[in-house]
Amino acid sequence: MEISEQLRKICTTSLIFVLCISYLVCHCNRAKETTDYRIVSLSPAMTEILFALGSGNNIVGVTTFCDYPEEAKKIYKIGDFSNPSVERIVGLKPNLVILNLPEQMRIKKQLERLKINIFVSSPSSLDEVYEEITEIGKIVKREHNADSLVNYMRTNIVPVENKKKTNVYIELSPRPIVTIGKHSFLNELLELAGAGNVFADLNKDYPVVSQEEIIKRNPEIIILLHPENIEQRTGWGTIAAVKNKRVYADINQDYIMRPAPRLVKGFKELKRIILE
Amino acid sequence: MNKQLLIILIFLGAVLVSIIVGPAQLTSEIFQLRISRVVLGIFAGGMLAFCGGILQGLFGNPLVEPYTLGSASGAALGGSIGILIFGTINPVFAFLGSLGVGFFVFTIARIEGGLFRDRLILAGVVMSFLCSSLVMITMLMGGRELYEILYLLMGYLGIIINSTNRIMIIVLIAVSIGLMVFLYRYHRELDIISQGIETAAGLGINIQKLSITIFLATSLLIGLIVSIVGAIGFVGLVIPHISKLLFGPKHLRNLPASFILGATFLLLADTASRVITVYELPVGVVTSLVGVPFFIYLYRR
Repeated sequence: MEISEQLRKICTTSLIFVLCISYLVCHCNRAKETTDYRIVSLSPAMTEILFALGSGNNIVGVTTFCDYPEEAKKIYKIGDFSNPSVERIVGLKPNLVILNLPEQMRIKKQLERLKINIFVSSPSSLDEVYEEITEIGKIVKREHNADSLVNYMRTNIVPVENKKKTNVYIELSPRPIVTIGKHSFLNELLELAGAGNVFADLNKDYPVVSQEEIIKRNPEIIILLHPENIEQRTGWGTIAAVKNKRVYADINQDYIMRPAPRLVKGFKELKRIILE
Repeated sequence: MNKQLLIILIFLGAVLVSIIVGPAQLTSEIFQLRISRVVLGIFAGGMLAFCGGILQGLFGNPLVEPYTLGSASGAALGGSIGILIFGTINPVFAFLGSLGVGFFVFTIARIEGGLFRDRLILAGVVMSFLCSSLVMITMLMGGRELYEILYLLMGYLGIIINSTNRIMIIVLIAVSIGLMVFLYRYHRELDIISQGIETAAGLGINIQKLSITIFLATSLLIGLIVSIVGAIGFVGLVIPHISKLLFGPKHLRNLPASFILGATFLLLADTASRVITVYELPVGVVTSLVGVPFFIYLYRR
């Protein structure tokens, strides 16, 4: 009597178990059918580009940093920008994983070993941004959209005629003080907007600099990408930008820090600040 | 007598050098900036070396330094957790971290068996390891915060001083001067302990109580330092040795000498870090780079 009771229990549990599994399998299969291309984007900028190209619904995994457009927030998260989980990526069975270098070197090596198709994004100039858009457009078969996006960006980001190059200092973070050097595309964007980066001579993308260097280079405009009232800083009073009250902290940093379509907006903002 | 005068002169020279030398022209604004940097340098370098001297005296162990007892690692851990939460360093967190870990070390050491004084070292070392791996985890979790945690771990005097943190820093420095004076009053007891624990116990010194007092006071002090300038290494370990080489084992003399030598050394290292490149190097990197050859030279003599 008792044995059959137990047997029934085992049968029911295993039945439920099997049902669950089959539901999961079916569910996965359905997901596979709806999309032909499965992309995991570890680059917030590339996520924006893919959505702009109309391939947003092919993205099956993103990082927690991918917060634009709104739809991107709903996509399955495979970790953050610097620590994506390889297991989660592999679990999504992607046809393509988009990576940022040099930050995601480790992941790149691991994915290569697993023979997963990758696309590397590491633009250091606007031209490279355009090239990457064209390339990814070819891969997701949206060449036409890619061309018009590049066109849109090219026509909106054009050099401003400014005889006198205004000296600009951009501060990414205050402790340590991080700014932009020669190898950041932001440097190029600034020059196009009719300004010069005071640290354009530094052979790095995001160098750590000292307060003295900044005071010595005496920028006419200061752009802060973090909220702080810098007029109170000891020793900063003689800087031209502080004296003339040309310190700006109202720019959305995603507009200018992400090599994506919103650079157009960022460029407009920069122009507004510089030509004010 | 001569030696004392000499190190004070060298110290004043170092102050002068770090005010005059630098990438920018010396204007009144730059002067303000460098003065605040000099104050931080004297504070951090002097206090760390002083703490090192006290702890080496108390534990009779030449390898003990402010970081051995876990409070510095605790401050680094608290600081980096604060960075993750608020996006920027919060001295209160660093300080709480230091106190928290200090308390843990203390509790572990109180579990019976062996000498309390020796168990403090062991517990401190163990907790330091735990803290470093936890700090690693915070570094893995941080994206942009990584830089800030890195500079907190290596220590850096070029921090921005503004109206919000100026008063706090002045108060913290005042408190730590108070703590230092308090600790200095134990110089005689430390001299006796250096002769051997049995002697000290025979002379009626309560080693248990003394260890607890000094441990708590130095933990507080180190927490204060790390919360402002980060975990600057090397100074607290090596400067007390140099001080003892020059001024002998009496703490009455070698503790103040440690303070002055530590301050001098950190000022010079910081000046070097400003001059070597246009980039801002964390001073903790320079201290070991400059300090180790100097120490080897002095020891071989």
